[in-house]
Amino acid sequence: MSIKVVIKESTYFDSVSLMSLSTKANQIEGVEQAVIAMGTEMNKEVLRNVGLITPELEAAKTSDLMIVVKAATDELCESAYVGIEELFTKKGDTKGKSEIKYATIDSAAKSIPEANLAVISVNGAFAAREARKALENDLHVMLFSDNVSIEDEIALKQFAHEKGLLMMGPDCGTAIIGNVALCFGNAVRKGNIGIVGASGTGSQEVSVRIHDFGGGITQLIGTGGRDLSEQVGGIMMLDGMKALDEDEATKVIVLISKPPAPSVEEKVLAQIKNCKKPVVVYFIGGEETAVVAAGGHFAKTTKEAALKAVVLAGANEDELNKRPLNWPLIEEVRAKLTPEQKYIRGLFCGGTLCDEAMYLAMDTYEDVYSNIQKKPEYKLKNLHESIAHTFLDMGDDDFTNGKPHPMIDPSTRIARFLQEAKDPSVGVIVMDFILGFGSHEDPVGVMLPAIIEAKQLAEKEGRHLEILGYVMGTDLDSPKFEDQVQKLMDAGVTIASSSTNAGLLAREFVAKGV
Amino acid sequence: MHIHALSGDAEFLRILASSSFSGNIHSIFERTINLQCDQNDELYTIANDQLDNGPNTLVLDIKRFHETGLEVGDRVLSQGQTLQIGNKIEIAATQAKEWECTLPPYPSNIEILKVDIAFMKEYIAVHGKCGGMKRNSRPSTPFEAEMSNMLLQRSGLLREALAAGKSEEAVQYALGLVGLGPGLTPSGDDFLVGLFSIVNMPGAPYYLPFHFLEEIATEAKRLTNEISYMMVKKAVCGQVRESVVNLLQALSKGTASELLGALEKVLSIGSSSGTDMALGLVCGLELNREAGGRACLLKS
Repeated sequence: MSIKVVIKESTYFDSVSLMSLSTKANQIEGVEQAVIAMGTEMNKEVLRNVGLITPELEAAKTSDLMIVVKAATDELCESAYVGIEELFTKKGDTKGKSEIKYATIDSAAKSIPEANLAVISVNGAFAAREARKALENDLHVMLFSDNVSIEDEIALKQFAHEKGLLMMGPDCGTAIIGNVALCFGNAVRKGNIGIVGASGTGSQEVSVRIHDFGGGITQLIGTGGRDLSEQVGGIMMLDGMKALDEDEATKVIVLISKPPAPSVEEKVLAQIKNCKKPVVVYFIGGEETAVVAAGGHFAKTTKEAALKAVVLAGANEDELNKRPLNWPLIEEVRAKLTPEQKYIRGLFCGGTLCDEAMYLAMDTYEDVYSNIQKKPEYKLKNLHESIAHTFLDMGDDDFTNGKPHPMIDPSTRIARFLQEAKDPSVGVIVMDFILGFGSHEDPVGVMLPAIIEAKQLAEKEGRHLEILGYVMGTDLDSPKFEDQVQKLMDAGVTIASSSTNAGLLAREFVAKGV
Repeated sequence: MHIHALSGDAEFLRILASSSFSGNIHSIFERTINLQCDQNDELYTIANDQLDNGPNTLVLDIKRFHETGLEVGDRVLSQGQTLQIGNKIEIAATQAKEWECTLPPYPSNIEILKVDIAFMKEYIAVHGKCGGMKRNSRPSTPFEAEMSNMLLQRSGLLREALAAGKSEEAVQYALGLVGLGPGLTPSGDDFLVGLFSIVNMPGAPYYLPFHFLEEIATEAKRLTNEISYMMVKKAVCGQVRESVVNLLQALSKGTASELLGALEKVLSIGSSSGTDMALGLVCGLELNREAGGRACLLKS
């Protein structure tokens, strides 16, 4: 191990520059540790404690700047120091782009007058105030934070509406603005379809399916999950529709939401009548009649919403690969399951993906339980125990209170998966694997050991356990979509090509006597 | 180049008016320039229009200094309320608004203060900058980890010693913080500035005797750099920058939103300096709340 020391006599840099230089110096290749600090006695004591002190450093004065580089070899030390010197030289160059951290929205807005959007993710207690400040600075807002009161949400959205700004959120996890995915999102092609979504993974899924069908996105505007509630009144969805209707690049608009409040649904449908562009509506569990009467295009599933959108945007339907269900595969799986293996267990990271699969199951089965069931009699009372067909939204507050979202930390889902795999009444376990910005870097990889263990356990007990996986992502996403799919297939997992197909396949696999 | 001073420390303005300032440029930064005075060896600051008032400071009607061509060592002379730096710039202080650091009385409503302290702590926990007194959950280097440990340990011990009225121990722990930490003004110095601001508030229940403060001021000179030393030395006498005074005023009689705004301004100082100062303020407030009225420093 080698240490290089340079003392810059009577040299002062302001604190912001010093901290920034120090951070960058530690990122230089080959550097094990770099220290850039004033030569005070106390800082020398710290160097002593971590074994970096040298006689040269001992002699440094309080007004001297100490630069210490630790690397594996002398050569690495030297080359790293050249890099650090370059940083010092560049410091004065204000022409280059650099990352600057601002303490307040006001100071950021003043320093970057061309900025027009603020993404806010702070403790819920302060979120409304920060969002208001951003709006006051004429910035559109994407508010990732939750735990914002409904009163604050209404006030913020009304204020934004008056100023002609977008107030996406609170609790808005997905948006694609100007082809840049914010918070959770997938890498999708730029195109002519605009989305306004009140459900994050639902919006992601539709954008991914549009990409798969060869289409592309202009903007994906998130609204936050409560926007279509009675109290909020769909302010953001209505403003989002208006913005996309006025956007020249957008030719088709897609609306996505969990079931809205009836009065809000009426308002949204009424606005469709005034839109100059075709509007596809996917409200989970929604009714076709009212949408069609309003002049909209009804979609029963996310896949149908995407398909209708790309066709309305100019694609030739006959040329599209619609990825129909693989009926021979369904027959094959049915034959492998015993009569007792009649239940679906869905373990989802994405709330809308869970909802979609659950609604598709409810078309056929009565006893469909969930933590997000709207029917009170089928809402799970004990979250730790599944009943009959059970669909769990593991990203819901029920499971994430005090814990990270399963898209980031899958440990809760892994434990539940192993529990379900032991249940002999289970025919199929269906899971989503979400790729893209903000998600786990290898969502399939972390589940694989559990999948292999579950398969072995079932085999030992002489039963077939069908595991159905859906990887939500595009060929542009990271990690590589193909690699994630391949890993699942190698572990004996059946792959669904969409969220809709995942729900349909799971439903059909366990169907008996058909 | 002719520049107007917008505002300035009353004492600095008086010195300029008496044409008795001479010195050299000590250090140059993007937003400030420090001048070393021949007469008293103190540092004086000329600052751009984005900065607040402070002890020994003139705020100028200028955005940045790099176009002025000034260099370290340039001679500085005052003449009739004008500060002449080399033949490069002339600063007219005739219309400068006088500012004097006056700390407000210590908050009288203990219940409100309790809520305000809790709010400040929570806000700093969320918005404060890590790397100094606020520990980074994942320090990037062993040096940073060790420095954070030492800052945390020494500030805790200082508070305990102060609360117990153990003067000599308290001096040692306080001096152990001087010059400790990253940045131009080390975090330990910034923390002490916050702490001294509180104990200097008129009516503060916790009393720090002069000998304690004097010892810190004297010893700090050899323990930290000249720029930071000036800041500590002034804070020992209750002289701190305007944004800190505004925060103390908001604590004393401001509304919740005034407190928030003032706290944000403090947090935006330097890199982690504002956070370090704010944590010093919190420490001082808690010390007053817990030990005020029953403990003061005694020579043991």
